[in-house]
Amino acid sequence: MRQKSATAAADPAWAAFEAEALPHLDRLFRLAMWLERNRPEAEDLVQETMMQALQSFHRFRPGTNCRAWLTTILQNVRSNRRRARGRSPLVDDPDDRIGNATPFVPPVPQTLTDEELLGALGRIPVPFQEVIVLCDVEELTYKEIADALAIPLGTVMSRLHRGRALLRAELGASRSGFSQQRADI
Amino acid sequence: MECRDVREMADSFLAEELLTETNHEILRHLETCPVCRADLAGRRALRDGVRRAFARAPELGPTPEFVTRVHTELRNAHRAPARRRAGFRGWLALAAAVLLAVALGVAYRSRNQVGAAGAVARAAVGDHRNCALQFRLTEKPISLAEAAQRYGSVYRVLESVPADDVITAAGPAHVLERHSCVYGGRRFAHVVFKYRGEPVSLLVTAYDEGARPARGGDVRPHATSAGRIDDMSVVSFPASRQMVFFAGDVAESDLSNLAEAVAEPLYRGLSTVDSVAAGRRSSMPRGHDVDTLDVAFVSRGSAHAMDFLSDACER
Repeated sequence: MRQKSATAAADPAWAAFEAEALPHLDRLFRLAMWLERNRPEAEDLVQETMMQALQSFHRFRPGTNCRAWLTTILQNVRSNRRRARGRSPLVDDPDDRIGNATPFVPPVPQTLTDEELLGALGRIPVPFQEVIVLCDVEELTYKEIADALAIPLGTVMSRLHRGRALLRAELGASRSGFSQQRADI
Repeated sequence: MECRDVREMADSFLAEELLTETNHEILRHLETCPVCRADLAGRRALRDGVRRAFARAPELGPTPEFVTRVHTELRNAHRAPARRRAGFRGWLALAAAVLLAVALGVAYRSRNQVGAAGAVARAAVGDHRNCALQFRLTEKPISLAEAAQRYGSVYRVLESVPADDVITAAGPAHVLERHSCVYGGRRFAHVVFKYRGEPVSLLVTAYDEGARPARGGDVRPHATSAGRIDDMSVVSFPASRQMVFFAGDVAESDLSNLAEAVAEPLYRGLSTVDSVAAGRRSSMPRGHDVDTLDVAFVSRGSAHAMDFLSDACER
């Protein structure tokens, strides 16, 4: 404790970074793992994100949401890496792909396991997953999500609306399919 | 509000992204509708479930080795420039001091351009961000009618001015909400527009006697841009005893168009109420001056307000 205080007194910039940014490392990594689905890629992404955050920490405004700030950096790093590798976005315009169709939403089962929830989330189109994860898991505001993903606020709202309907549909369908398989045995 | 409306907005309600008034309408509906209550509970359970599953999934978590490695590399990266800095010569420190002086000079000049209203403008932007965008005010907003009763009839002007639909050179603006709220110890009359696809705030607040700009006679309001403050465009003009701000994440030119479109009727409305109040004050005994926005500073927050303004000036 005394050693920590001494460090903070000796280097307040590091102490501030340590207190504000480092506690988000676990959640940031989980987000990167979800987005990349590959541990070495996620580790590189998070390491570069944290390094950039450290270098630009003077731009972080105390009192604002540090997790949102780190998420924005992570998304920027990820976009730059994809661009550098010549990879296009996974889905150019999910709104075109899904159209305006509202999926049939069967009732969501009352009890769901973590595996069922994450499995269903993983089966909906990636841009919808992203906004749901940033909103529900990372607890970012719509504006923070729009900033992090560099998309308009209205797009965030429409993707959340459709994404949640797709997730509920996926959960309902997967459980009924599971039930059917059980009944067939 | 009907069930269909509640279902449409249910997720935004759970994410605390709706305007205060809309939240109240939904809560009123939920009191009498068990079906919507159950729907909302299901949505909340799903959100919580996804959050928990994410936090618990072992395959998503970082290894302890990775956490240690990142921590060490960050610490080393932070130390490296510090060591380099230790080798700087005295003349470099002098050059830095000169640069700092120049930077301070530029900052001081630009602060003067924004004028003494800069600190109040920052409070207005804070209110826009915390009230219109994030709904994080510590004190619940009240209606303009209630504010008029408590703090002076100037608030009543904002009940009808500007009109609900405003046509500007950059497109239409539609009023979403009108209320009075407090941010940083300063009370505002707050009108939220939907304009250029974004929420944009019109904020009217009392302007300190000491900081009031020197104006003579009956001046037609002229909106001036204060540039970008905290990532928001800000445009303002002084009224007779208030400052009027427009803040939002839209282009400065678009915000100026909106300000120009509403400036004249708003200025006229505020001036009329102020002149009536001034006439009434002259015929009142001392101590009964309650009919202006000047008394709208929250009394228990005045010290905090002064701290806020000092801090903003220092920044």
